[in-house]
Amino acid sequence: MNPSSLKSRFTTRFLRALTKINAHKPISSSSPGPGEIFQRYRRIKVAADKSMAYSVRSRRTWSRATLWRLRTRSPRSRLATHARRSWVKTRSTRAASHGKEKKEDGGTVEAEELRELVPGGEAMDLCNLLDETAHYIKCLTTQLDILDRQECTSREL
Amino acid sequence: MDIDEKDKYELENRNENSINYQEPVLSSDWQFGGANLTSAGMSLVPSGNPLAIGSCPSASVADSFGSNLWEHPSISQNLGFCGINVHNGASSSNAMGIGKGTLTSLRSNIDRPFDMGWNTTGILQQSLSQLPADSAFIERAARFSSFNGGSFSDMVSPFGMPESMSLYTRGVGLMAGTEDMFAVNGMKSVFGVESQKSKLNAIEATRDACLQVENRAIESPLENGRKSESLVRANEETKQGTGGSGNESDEAEFSGRDGGQDEPSSFDGTGGEPSAKSLSSKKRKRSLQDAEIDQAKGGRPLTEAAKDGAENQQKGDQKQTTTTNKTTGKQGTPASHPPKEEYIHVRARRGQATNSHSLAERVRREKISERMKFLQDLVPGCSKVTGKAVMLDEIINYVQSLQRQVEFLSMKLATVNPRLDFNIEGLLAKDIIQSQAGPSSTHPDLSVGYPSLHLSQPGLVQAALPVMGNNADVMRRSLTSHLTSMTGGLKLPNQLSNTWEDELHNVVQMNYGTSAPSDSLNVNEPQPSGNTKVEL
Repeated sequence: MNPSSLKSRFTTRFLRALTKINAHKPISSSSPGPGEIFQRYRRIKVAADKSMAYSVRSRRTWSRATLWRLRTRSPRSRLATHARRSWVKTRSTRAASHGKEKKEDGGTVEAEELRELVPGGEAMDLCNLLDETAHYIKCLTTQLDILDRQECTSREL
Repeated sequence: MDIDEKDKYELENRNENSINYQEPVLSSDWQFGGANLTSAGMSLVPSGNPLAIGSCPSASVADSFGSNLWEHPSISQNLGFCGINVHNGASSSNAMGIGKGTLTSLRSNIDRPFDMGWNTTGILQQSLSQLPADSAFIERAARFSSFNGGSFSDMVSPFGMPESMSLYTRGVGLMAGTEDMFAVNGMKSVFGVESQKSKLNAIEATRDACLQVENRAIESPLENGRKSESLVRANEETKQGTGGSGNESDEAEFSGRDGGQDEPSSFDGTGGEPSAKSLSSKKRKRSLQDAEIDQAKGGRPLTEAAKDGAENQQKGDQKQTTTTNKTTGKQGTPASHPPKEEYIHVRARRGQATNSHSLAERVRREKISERMKFLQDLVPGCSKVTGKAVMLDEIINYVQSLQRQVEFLSMKLATVNPRLDFNIEGLLAKDIIQSQAGPSSTHPDLSVGYPSLHLSQPGLVQAALPVMGNNADVMRRSLTSHLTSMTGGLKLPNQLSNTWEDELHNVVQMNYGTSAPSDSLNVNEPQPSGNTKVEL
C-alpha cells in the first residue's frame, strides 16, 4: 500500500482521532443514552472530516474551507461566520457576475446547488468547481471506505 | 548548379540581411535537435547566415515551435507568423501547384525582398520548372524533404536569408515529393511575412494555401477574420493545383522524416478536401507525430508539445461527442479541437466566430465539458447521461448521498463498541471484507433486516434505507425530501427532536440486537465506495 497515499494518510489520522475519542469517553457497557451516542457521533464525524481535510491540507479549496469551518465552529461562531460569509459573498458575487457575464451555460441553478454541497465552493467558477467536486468525491469515497472497514472490524468484537 | 544557388543566395543575403535579420538569439530557442536540418541548411546556403541556419534546426515539430513561441513573448511577430507557418502541416494540393511556383519565385525573386518574392503562382510555377533540372537541387530537395516543412518556415520569416531559403527549400521539397509540404510552408512563411509587410498581391494565392494549413492552435487573431473565406478560396485554388493535397503533405511531413515521399498518389485530387479534413486530420496527426517526435528527439519542448498534442488529441477524441465540432462534422474525422498548449492560444475553427470573447468562451466551455466527462467516470451510473444539467443533477445527488453515508457510518461507529486494536493494514487492504451485494438486493435485505425498526416517522426509514443501500439508483429514486429531512435532523444538533432520539434508540437496538440485521446492513453498506474508488 502506498504509504503516502491519501488513503493511508487519512487512515492514520482518523484512527488516531478515534483512539482519542474512545479514550476520552469510554463507551459504557450498558446501552448508552442517545445523547451520549449522538455526542460521540458528532465527534467521530468531525474527526473523519477533519482527518480527511488534514490529509489534503490546503491543496484543495474544499479542504481549506472544511478546516476553516471546523475551526470556527460554535464557540466563536458569530464573528467568524460573519467574516467568512462576507468574504465568501464578495468572492461569489464577483465570480457569479463574471460567469453570468459570459452567459454561463451550465445550469447556474445546479451549479449553485453543487456549490452548497462542496465546502468552499461558493466562490468558485464552474470550471474550478467541477475540479473540486471531482477531488471531493474521491476523498469522500475514501473516507467512506475506511469508515466502513473500521466499523466492520469494530463490530466483530 | 550549386554554385549558382549559392551566388544567388549570397545576393539575397546581402539584400535581405539588413531587412529581416531579427533576433538571432532566438535560435537558441529552436534547438529542437534537428541536426539534419542544420546540416542541410548549411549545405544549401553555404554563404547563408549561419545564424539563420543554426536557428532553424528543427522546428520540425509545430507544437514545440509553437510552444516555444508562446513561451518567449519577446519573439517578434515575424517569428510568430513563422510559428504559424511551422505549425501548419502540409496542406493541400495547393502545395503542389504552388510549390512549383515557389521554385520559380525562388529563382526569379532572389534579388528581391522575400515578401516580394512570393508573387503569383505563375511565377512560382516558373521557378519550379527551372529547378527540376538541377540534380543537385533534387538531392537537396530530398534532404530537405526529410524535414518538416515547418522547420524551413522557421528559417524563413525571422531572417531575410532564410526566407529565400525557404523558397528554395520549398522547391526542393516539391522535387522530392514532399514539395507541397514545403511549398505550403513557404507559403506560410510568406503569409507570415506578408501579413507584416503586406505587400504581395499575388501572395494571396499562397496565403490562401497557407491559411488552409494554418489551423494549428496558434492564435493569430489577425488571420482569423480572413480565415474562412481565404480557406474557401484556397480550396478552389488547390483544386486547380496538381496532386499533392494537404493530407499528403501532412502525412509526409509528420510520418516521413526520412525522405517523406509518402503516398503522393493518395492525395491527388483531394485538394478541395483539405480545408476541412486536413484541419482535423492534421491536428490529429500532428498530435500523434508530436508524440513520435517527442520520443525520437526527447527534447523538452518537444515533449511538452507532444504531450500537449497527445493530451489534446485524447481530449479531442473524448470531446468529440460533446464538443460542437463545426469543422469536421461532415468528414467524421476526430474533432479538430484547438490544441490548448497555453491557456489562451486557441485558433478559431472553421465556420466559428473569431471574436476573442467567443474564443475564450469556447475554451472555457471545453474545459468544463472535459471536467464533466471526468466526473461522469467518477459518478457511477452516469455513462448514459448526457447533457450538463442532468449530469450536474446526478453529481449533486451523488455528493449528497456520499455525505449522508459518511454521517451514517460515523453514527454507526459511535454506537459500536470500538475495537482498539487498529489494524491499519487491515483497513488499508484492498480487498473488501464484505462481498459486494448487487444493488437490487439491497432493498429486500434492508426491509427484512430491520423488523425491529419502528420509527415514529416512516419518512426517516425510507430515507435511511437508500442511504444504507448506497445504491445510486436508489438515491435517485428516493424521495429527496426525505433525505433532506433526515439530513436536517443530522446536521442540526440543537434540534434534537424526539424523532431523532427514537431513531437512535432503534439504531442502538439494531446494533446490539440480532446480528442478522447488522450483517445485512453491513452487506448493503457502501459497496459502491469500492466501485467508485478513484486513484488520482
